[in-house]
Amino acid sequence: MTSQVSTDAQTSDGIGAAPLAALAILAGAAVAVLVGVYGQVHDPTGEATITLFFTGTLHFKAWAATLVLVFALFQAFSALWMYGRLGWAVPSWLGPVHRLSGTLALLISLPVVYHCLWSLGFETEAGETRRFLHSLFGCVVYGAFTTKILAVRLHGMPKWLLPSVGGLLFAALIGVWCTSSLWFFQNIGFEI
Amino acid sequence: MLKGLVTVVQVITLGAVAATVFLLLTFTPTSPTREAAANLGILGEQVWVRSCAGCHGADGEGGIGPTLAGGAVVEAFPDRAEQIALVTDGFEGMPAFGGRLTPAEISAVVDYTRNELAQR
Repeated sequence: MTSQVSTDAQTSDGIGAAPLAALAILAGAAVAVLVGVYGQVHDPTGEATITLFFTGTLHFKAWAATLVLVFALFQAFSALWMYGRLGWAVPSWLGPVHRLSGTLALLISLPVVYHCLWSLGFETEAGETRRFLHSLFGCVVYGAFTTKILAVRLHGMPKWLLPSVGGLLFAALIGVWCTSSLWFFQNIGFEI
Repeated sequence: MLKGLVTVVQVITLGAVAATVFLLLTFTPTSPTREAAANLGILGEQVWVRSCAGCHGADGEGGIGPTLAGGAVVEAFPDRAEQIALVTDGFEGMPAFGGRLTPAEISAVVDYTRNELAQR
């Protein structure tokens, strides 16, 4: 018990776990704020961007965000598996596949967030609750992602940080999807 | 093998993040931005893309909202003032834009639907 407290309180480099966690959280908060500030300050272009083989940019974004959500669900599932919460043996491929799914989720989200920020901006107009919440959740996603990466990469983080920020990231992604793709599918339909 | 693939994808993603940030900071739109559009008289199109196309379709072909293209909107609202009132106050499933858009923006987008979309 004592050694556990000691491990949590101080890293091998002598930096306390709490300051390290604070650093990771502040870095994530800074990213979230920067994304929001860009969306607010940048003059929205209103232009379509990437469509691939979809009918339009919004169609592309709705399906891409859904794919990101699928990867996020796998992230949550594989994390529970890796940390022994499912009671199953952990295969050697699970860790790399977990990292691969997270990386792909980020990669696929980039053209989506690019259109959101460059073309639409951070929504603050009165009466646009859905868009405002979507903007807010989007900022939280990239902030939480930053903190999560730091929590994974830096040694000596307190053990509560990774599951907490992972949970926040997952919840924010659900929020992003519900205020965009779900709305799109309900109001426009499952169009490609 | 799998770890190598993960590394490759991570490097690609890192490059994509850098490219996205670079484009966000430097890429110039091919058409005027919302602010500039007001000065050039094409504010209506910008408002259309931002606030209307999601429901009425990019070219006014209809979607969750009714078709506006091909002169349909002029048939439904011969009086332009009626259309402005509807956009401002809302009607059935259509939200009121009076609190979200300025009168100039509403006027511009109404003209856009009556003039530009009529030709599509």
